[in-house]
Amino acid sequence: MPTLFQFTNVSKTYGAVRALDDLTLAVPERAIGLLGPNGSGKTTMIRTLLGLIPVDCGTGEVLGLDFSRRQLEIRRKVGFAPEDECLFPHVQGVEFVAYAGELVGMSPIDALQRSHEVLDYVGLGEARYRKVESYSTGMKQRLKLASAIVHDPKLLVLDEPTNGMDPAGREEVLELAHDLAHNKGINLIFSSHILPDVEAVCDYVIVLGRGKLLAQGEISALKQIHEQAFDVRVKSNTGAFIERLSAQGCSAEPNGDLLRVRIPASASPQILWEAAAAAGDQIRHLRPQRSTLEEVFLNAVEKP
Amino acid sequence: MPIIDQGYQHWSGELSGQAWRWLAITRRGVKTALQGRWIRLAILVAWLPALVLAFVLCMWGLVERQSDLVETFKPFLTGLLGRPVVAGPREYRVEIWTLCFHYFLTWELGFIMILVLMAGPNLVSQDLRCNALPLYFSRPLRRIDYFAGKLGVIATLIGLIVIGPILVAYSLGLLFSLDITIVRDTLPILFGSITYGVIVAISAGLLMLAMSSLTRNSRYVALLWLGVWLITGTVSVVLIQVDQAQRSRAVGARYHRWDNEQFLSAELDAAKHDWRPLVSYTANLRRMEESLIHTNAAWQKLIELTPVGQRGRLMFNLVDTQYPWYWSAGVLIGLAVLSACVLNLTVKSLDRIK
Repeated sequence: MPTLFQFTNVSKTYGAVRALDDLTLAVPERAIGLLGPNGSGKTTMIRTLLGLIPVDCGTGEVLGLDFSRRQLEIRRKVGFAPEDECLFPHVQGVEFVAYAGELVGMSPIDALQRSHEVLDYVGLGEARYRKVESYSTGMKQRLKLASAIVHDPKLLVLDEPTNGMDPAGREEVLELAHDLAHNKGINLIFSSHILPDVEAVCDYVIVLGRGKLLAQGEISALKQIHEQAFDVRVKSNTGAFIERLSAQGCSAEPNGDLLRVRIPASASPQILWEAAAAAGDQIRHLRPQRSTLEEVFLNAVEKP
Repeated sequence: MPIIDQGYQHWSGELSGQAWRWLAITRRGVKTALQGRWIRLAILVAWLPALVLAFVLCMWGLVERQSDLVETFKPFLTGLLGRPVVAGPREYRVEIWTLCFHYFLTWELGFIMILVLMAGPNLVSQDLRCNALPLYFSRPLRRIDYFAGKLGVIATLIGLIVIGPILVAYSLGLLFSLDITIVRDTLPILFGSITYGVIVAISAGLLMLAMSSLTRNSRYVALLWLGVWLITGTVSVVLIQVDQAQRSRAVGARYHRWDNEQFLSAELDAAKHDWRPLVSYTANLRRMEESLIHTNAAWQKLIELTPVGQRGRLMFNLVDTQYPWYWSAGVLIGLAVLSACVLNLTVKSLDRIK
């Protein structure tokens, strides 16, 4: 799969703070989730990708373009929707998006025509002639998205796109981001603290911490199935069931309304059925344990 | 219906080159400015002196041609300009054109200050206030494109009330004179006036952008601009008058009269080394105007026509522009460099992208 961007030994410091620390990674073209706690280097990475800041050392490419030398070309191919509101008042939605297109280099006529198209796409067709200051938070977020895709970029960077949104608005933005990334052939970098959002949109994640790469890979691969751990629910007598399991060398601990059971390495899942039968109980739910993205994230961040 | 069902089409058009990227910012800024009712009104009012300029130049063309149409005005013109000027108008063509343009530019300078006051404060401060800089700098725009685009807004507005009307009035003046030699005689005035317009646009534009980048509150910017315009002007006048009062005390109050030609000659000599007009921003601009269209030379020629004893009224016009023009050029260049430094320090692209 072609590489979306790659960093080779990239470091960037702000005074005593090391924002990117000898970062080396290569990321394939697809929907990428960018995860990391505050101060992990996500914003610096986005700035570097857009060619906005010079790095102290190291090299890298975005869409095959050197980010140290071909910044303007990169920004022509990238659409960026920042976290901040960044909308100025007294301008209609359609004018705002057209202006964003003109700033990239579209002719005024093309920009206006395209502005109407993308506003229809993001669901702001009815509100296109309203002043932007009258938009709701969700509408503003979609307007920023429309401004970022007006020139049909190869890569779309969304920085915390669902911050401060109500559930319905959040759902709409996630649907749009997912559609752009999976059906329209636009590569996506989705930076967010909200892990379910990343999981809903992306199929690949990068986890950063203190400027270093902590984990990266396909979400499906990171959320591996645990062969010897199961989530179990029995019909009634949980206590007796746990006792039987302990006798068989299993460990069991409550996990919500389920039990998380670890069986010995040499045992098969059959042991669970036998323990339930011995306790006079029935198994109503049995599923191999799968790591959530949250666990993947926490494991990566808490790694020494 | 889910919103994604409305489709998304890829776009395969051409993007323009980098050189004209600033134009989008200028276009947007001018459009926004012209949506303001008061700015439109200010521009309309600012065109009135241009109408007068065009009218006078056309009339002068008719005077040069000794047209019957201006016979009625001749006694008035003789009273105003003197018999030699009206009797041989072609001899005084350059002087009359120069003074017409001078008066026009003097009026327009006031309108320029008002227009910049109305359209300028929001140019950068609004972007800072609304965190709109990422809109620009995450796109293929350099800071120089951003500044050029914003400067272009002020330059366009100044062009609308200075350079545009000058070109129209000049063309009408040529048409009414029906004499090809007028081009040779007056072309330096045209170029001088246009150069002056460009200097004012760059100087006032940079200064306003720098002020606008200092605060997120446009009202403070407007107050700063008023300070530069009115307070520096007032301080300069006060300093000049204090200096003149000291000289007046030294020579005696009876001698200190503005219709006293001897006193005026002494004042003109003193003004050659007087730094006090440099304190006023608009005085510096006016000094540049004089050096570009040579107003002093035109006054001087008219003074020579006037009998001794009646020259005071004309000599008075020379007092403000006696010091070397390059002093004012230095002040304006210094302000422009300072403005550029302020812009460079206050508008940093990457700091704004959070």
